Amino acid sequence: MSTKPKSRWARSAEDAEYEARQKKEKEEKRRKKALKLQEEEEKKKALLAATTTSQTAETNDNDDDAASSSSRPSKRRKLTPEPASNSSSATLLRFDVGTWKPSRSVDNYDKLNDIEEGTYGWVARATELATGRVVALKRLKLEAGDPNGLPVTGLREIQILKNCRHRNVVAMEEVVVGNDVSKPDNSIFLVLEFVEHDLKSILQDMPEPFLSSEVKRLLLQLTSGVAYLHQNYILHRDLKTSNLLLSNRGLLKIADFGMARYVGDPRPKLTQLVVTLWYRAPELLLGTRTYDAAVDMWSVGCIMGELITREPLLQGSNEVDQISKVFELCGVPTEDSWPGFRRLPNARSLRLPKQSPLASGSVIRARFPNLTAAGASLLNSLLALDPEKRPSAKEMLEHEYFRQDPKPKPESLFPTFPSKAGQERRRRHEPDAPVRGQAVALGDVDFSGIFQGRDKEERGAGFSLRMV
Amino acid sequence: MSSLLANPLATPSQLYRRASSATLPRDVDEAVYFATQCLTQAAGRLLQLPQSVTAQANVLLARSWLGESPMAHEFSDVSAATIYLVSKLGPLPRSPRDVSNVYAYLSSANSALFPSGELPKDDPRAYYQTEADYYAFQQRMLGLEARILQSLSFDTQVSLPHPLAITYLQTLDFLSQPRTTVSLRTIQYLNTALLSPQMLYITHQPNALATAAIYNAARDLGAKMPEHEWWEVFDVDREELGFLVVAMRSVEGWMQKLKEDFPGFGNNMLKRSVVEDELHRRGLQVGNGDNAPRDEEDEVMRMMDSR
Repeated sequence: MSTKPKSRWARSAEDAEYEARQKKEKEEKRRKKALKLQEEEEKKKALLAATTTSQTAETNDNDDDAASSSSRPSKRRKLTPEPASNSSSATLLRFDVGTWKPSRSVDNYDKLNDIEEGTYGWVARATELATGRVVALKRLKLEAGDPNGLPVTGLREIQILKNCRHRNVVAMEEVVVGNDVSKPDNSIFLVLEFVEHDLKSILQDMPEPFLSSEVKRLLLQLTSGVAYLHQNYILHRDLKTSNLLLSNRGLLKIADFGMARYVGDPRPKLTQLVVTLWYRAPELLLGTRTYDAAVDMWSVGCIMGELITREPLLQGSNEVDQISKVFELCGVPTEDSWPGFRRLPNARSLRLPKQSPLASGSVIRARFPNLTAAGASLLNSLLALDPEKRPSAKEMLEHEYFRQDPKPKPESLFPTFPSKAGQERRRRHEPDAPVRGQAVALGDVDFSGIFQGRDKEERGAGFSLRMV
Repeated sequence: MSSLLANPLATPSQLYRRASSATLPRDVDEAVYFATQCLTQAAGRLLQLPQSVTAQANVLLARSWLGESPMAHEFSDVSAATIYLVSKLGPLPRSPRDVSNVYAYLSSANSALFPSGELPKDDPRAYYQTEADYYAFQQRMLGLEARILQSLSFDTQVSLPHPLAITYLQTLDFLSQPRTTVSLRTIQYLNTALLSPQMLYITHQPNALATAAIYNAARDLGAKMPEHEWWEVFDVDREELGFLVVAMRSVEGWMQKLKEDFPGFGNNMLKRSVVEDELHRRGLQVGNGDNAPRDEEDEVMRMMDSR
């Protein structure tokens, strides 16, 4: 027993099997030995009335072994004998993250049909041949002859998805590769769990908007997924309804981590070229380089508005139009409402209307007349121009809005929708996520006319945008 | 996410397969491994990458080392591809051009990595790269980048023991030693262990490596350690600790022996052609490892010895 070399890598299944076999054999031996010892002991006992301490120790030992052979799980023994006082050895924490092996071939999957093809890649529905399970295959978009090799965004997406385990984040099962292994532009596919719908298509096709109980459940799921990401230092940076998947059982999953990245502390230099235009936070539009999780919360706000109305909330046609739409809805920033915004790169030359906050404030409450006071206050805080004022995902989960009637609808009671992904390609009428390259400077933009005539007309009309 | 504290480890069957299908004699294989890891460290310094990045490259190199024969590609190309990949994923990406220049310099006659006795006189012509040289290097490096990723199924996460070691030292109140002295010694053991041909970083978890390095540092400095089994607090058992302590201490002696066995080692960049010459000298064939069928039992014993 004491000479048994301990298997240092006893972690894999075959190892466990081997160990089990060995253990069995050992126990056989041990039992025999114990029996023999017992006989000897009895003889000795007959001879000697008193027992020596070493014999007592041995007997204890044997008792111990006998117990272990019956039911106790295997316990590793120390090589060096320990003083009897602390013989109960501490249980040591063991991490088991497995091992690594080469990627499998994409030939293990059979393609069923295309789901979508966008700027960032191609997605198809497929079955795994061995199991018949349906999965989504996403091909990483590779530029042939890219002087930098595999795109870092794709590698980040893989690393992040590998590390994420949450019911509201799409699960990645493995990465498979095409058969041209030696070529640097060999295809790489992410094998993702297949989810029937994306929220964008559902919103486009549904005849009636979601009930407010349904909106609440969807928002809760989205927010708990986002909270998980932020807690693990991940920024998604491209939250939008077309990147949110919804299963037939009402389960929402965040997908498409092509823009996501880990942010440590201190923060690395980040690009401002993130988030699809319609969901992009004002600080990004104004060119900040030091943003944080609040950019995702702005997108959550935009998604909340979209879930209620079925229409994207802020549909700008370009960066300048987008920021003017933001100001139109949320009001014009002032040093009070957003301290320091003037120091952002694109804000220096902005010309903003000098009006009373009353006339140029937020109109969110008016845009969503059916929203409860709690709902409006949540949306207002998510769409706060000052990122500091937006709630964190964790704070949002505690918001009054989710506790008020109507209560969030249980997922199991969600309606089902005819699957698009099963049959046809998804349609898109929205801008794509930004592509790496030169950031657009807003230039000198005059927003001073943005609220002209707001008091005269109802809303939306009568502002002009002038590029100087 | 336990992956912040733990690494995937090599399985016994992976290690066995690697040992039994080796294309090189064991001592040569280890020498090549050591030389490639040293080269990676040197390149990391010249690329001005922090050790946290370079050490990750060392670990990824060790992982991919298990998968493929070292003779399949030029050693320096594998080293370059790994460090390029790790830097790209981290906060300080380096361009292929930078990496190319650094490796060209390191393999030149001017290289400070291989001191030839007299001070190297700086002769830029020795490491100047033509556009064609660069293009060829870049193609090889990017091809290997994809290859390495595939052999690791794209898992590039590496948890290093260095930050853990500092945390442990804090818990131990730096063993009543000057903080910098004991920390430095500990980190030195961890960095040396990166080069060990026993591949300690892919057979042991960071917490065990950190604990063993602290133990060694304490022994070197004559620091008083707690009397009870303090390593159990860091989830290391006595046997594993004992093995790692010896393994970390033996790297230096092993390096000395390497220099005696291979007199020319460390005089210039180790290339595949050098290894092939060495094999010819020994009368061994190059390429396939099954020319001399080895006794499986022997091999297992050897592996046990090496642990």
